[in-house]
Amino acid sequence: MILSLGHYLVLSTVIFSIGAAGFLARRNALIALMSIELMLNAVNLMLVAANRWQPLVQGEGGATTAPAPHGHVFVFFVIAVAAAEAAVGLAIVLSYYRLRKTVRTDAADMLRG
Amino acid sequence: MNLVLLLSPILIPVVGALVLMLLDAFQKEEGGLAMPTALIHFTAAAMALALWKHGLPADVSALHGYLTIDKVSLFLDATIALGGAIASLLAGGYLAEHKLDRGEYYPLITFSTAGAMMLVSASDVLMLFLGLETMSLGVYAMTGFRRGSPRSAEAAMKYFLLGSFAAALLLFGSALLYVLTGHTDYAGIASALHDAAAQTAADATAAAQQTTRARVGIFAMLLVLVSMAFKVGAVPFHMWTPDAYEGAPTSSMAYMSVVVKAAAFGAFARIMLAIFGDANSAGAAAGWPAALAWIAVATMTVGNLIALAQTSVKRMLAYSSIAHAGYLLLGLVAAPREEGGTTAYAAMLFYLLSYTVSNLGAVGALILAGRRGAESVSHDDLAGYARRHPAAGFALTLFLLSLTGIPPTVGFFSKFYVVRSALDAGFTTLAIIAMINSAISAYYYLGVLVKMYMRDPAPGAPLASPMRSGYVTAALIVSAFFVVWMGVMPERWLDLAREAVSPAAANAAAPTADNAGGSAPAAQH
Repeated sequence: MILSLGHYLVLSTVIFSIGAAGFLARRNALIALMSIELMLNAVNLMLVAANRWQPLVQGEGGATTAPAPHGHVFVFFVIAVAAAEAAVGLAIVLSYYRLRKTVRTDAADMLRG
Repeated sequence: MNLVLLLSPILIPVVGALVLMLLDAFQKEEGGLAMPTALIHFTAAAMALALWKHGLPADVSALHGYLTIDKVSLFLDATIALGGAIASLLAGGYLAEHKLDRGEYYPLITFSTAGAMMLVSASDVLMLFLGLETMSLGVYAMTGFRRGSPRSAEAAMKYFLLGSFAAALLLFGSALLYVLTGHTDYAGIASALHDAAAQTAADATAAAQQTTRARVGIFAMLLVLVSMAFKVGAVPFHMWTPDAYEGAPTSSMAYMSVVVKAAAFGAFARIMLAIFGDANSAGAAAGWPAALAWIAVATMTVGNLIALAQTSVKRMLAYSSIAHAGYLLLGLVAAPREEGGTTAYAAMLFYLLSYTVSNLGAVGALILAGRRGAESVSHDDLAGYARRHPAAGFALTLFLLSLTGIPPTVGFFSKFYVVRSALDAGFTTLAIIAMINSAISAYYYLGVLVKMYMRDPAPGAPLASPMRSGYVTAALIVSAFFVVWMGVMPERWLDLAREAVSPAAANAAAPTADNAGGSAPAAQH
């Protein structure tokens, strides 16, 4: 079987949906953080696959060159931002844990109304 | 050099934040960074105005379509910088009073401002994502800045989780647009979607493929719409707003409610109008104004009705900020419908500036009313406040009147302009709902005034008394100055907003768009 772009798109959509479902269904802040990472990585997979399947660029005299690496570059930025996001997120969850001794989001009910 | 000048409104806060971090590391005692932070913001605002005044350089191709520096982004840069300056002055008073004055707050606020400015200039989904995260990461940390308070930690956690989820949705939508078009810049995506929709399919397979692509395009548009609605706090994606605003330190709430809102609306308007504004762009995706109109109705109504029931003034202001997001959405809904989309877009920009000064003033006056250990946030705390402290009471009165929309304050004109633009675009029902909502909102804003002027505090209840802080006083004077000035001469400010969105000003941005639209396809096909 030859893998096509469609396979990658379906796979990344499935991974993204698993992440989104995990975020919405689970009540543990750490699992929510992991779900967000899963969603970001699904997007990374989609971006690199889409860039790989971009049509080749026809240059002078019939020579072809690789397409512009916009998708690949995007992925590097997403990885860096995901790391920064995890740092801030873990710090916030940690400070919440120190005060409340739990990381369950359904226990977070001090603010309401 | 040209490029540095062009990017200076963004670069000043970036460099300024690095300097602030050094200052914080080397100074002996905590605090005292509020004034340098405010100065950095004022300098960025001045630089944006100078660029506006002297005209943008004709050749902006060095930006390669990643950022669009036009008069709209300069207008919003100045709004954001003014909001950041006033918010950092408020922080100088609030954090010192409540013993939170740790230096890292000021670099955080300055980095967030830089991110907000990137967001309003972004004309590429990559820059949109980077700007959004740069802004949001700073704001998450500012929300949880009161480390010993479980409420502050809870607010930060809720805001962080929902904000990151929204960012992931935006990213997935952007990736789908890249899959469909092979472009990440708005101009390239828009032209590729337009071409795909305009093509006539050769056979049945191609037709089916075209339908699938159109459906994926609509799905991507929905993802972008939902994630931006999250960021502006529109119903039904508003759940984080009241919690994050209430739990955050009040100075962070001041910053979040104006700067994050202005930046998110700027980015929202730019991406929707640039990619999906064209009626043929992605077939049914052009139906977004109708969907957004429903969101606007829900946002105004839910925000106002829940605000009626609040006993805490801080939480009431949070719901009122949701309601104001609803009024702002009117401008965005009307913009693609009218000829050129200039009046509604201009009304939205005017509203953002007006809301920035009015809401910062109202939150600032609330900060002024809370001393250490006695943050007066409930309506009952404020009973008789204006009679005991006429000047501080008058400050809160002025800004609440502006939020209500009573002339001669600017709030009246900002509401008048967006409602008029909705009427002009043919959204009569929407305009009527907005006016009814404005009347509802008068009840809870004026309720605070009734408490302050006409009620006596319950016997034995703690009496709210204003704290003394030069920073907060200065912030209130600057806000009051703008509220009155813009209220007395609204046409002059509206003309500035009109000039920002007029097609003549767009010419400055045209080389960017042409460059992006022209060179990128050549490189890829």
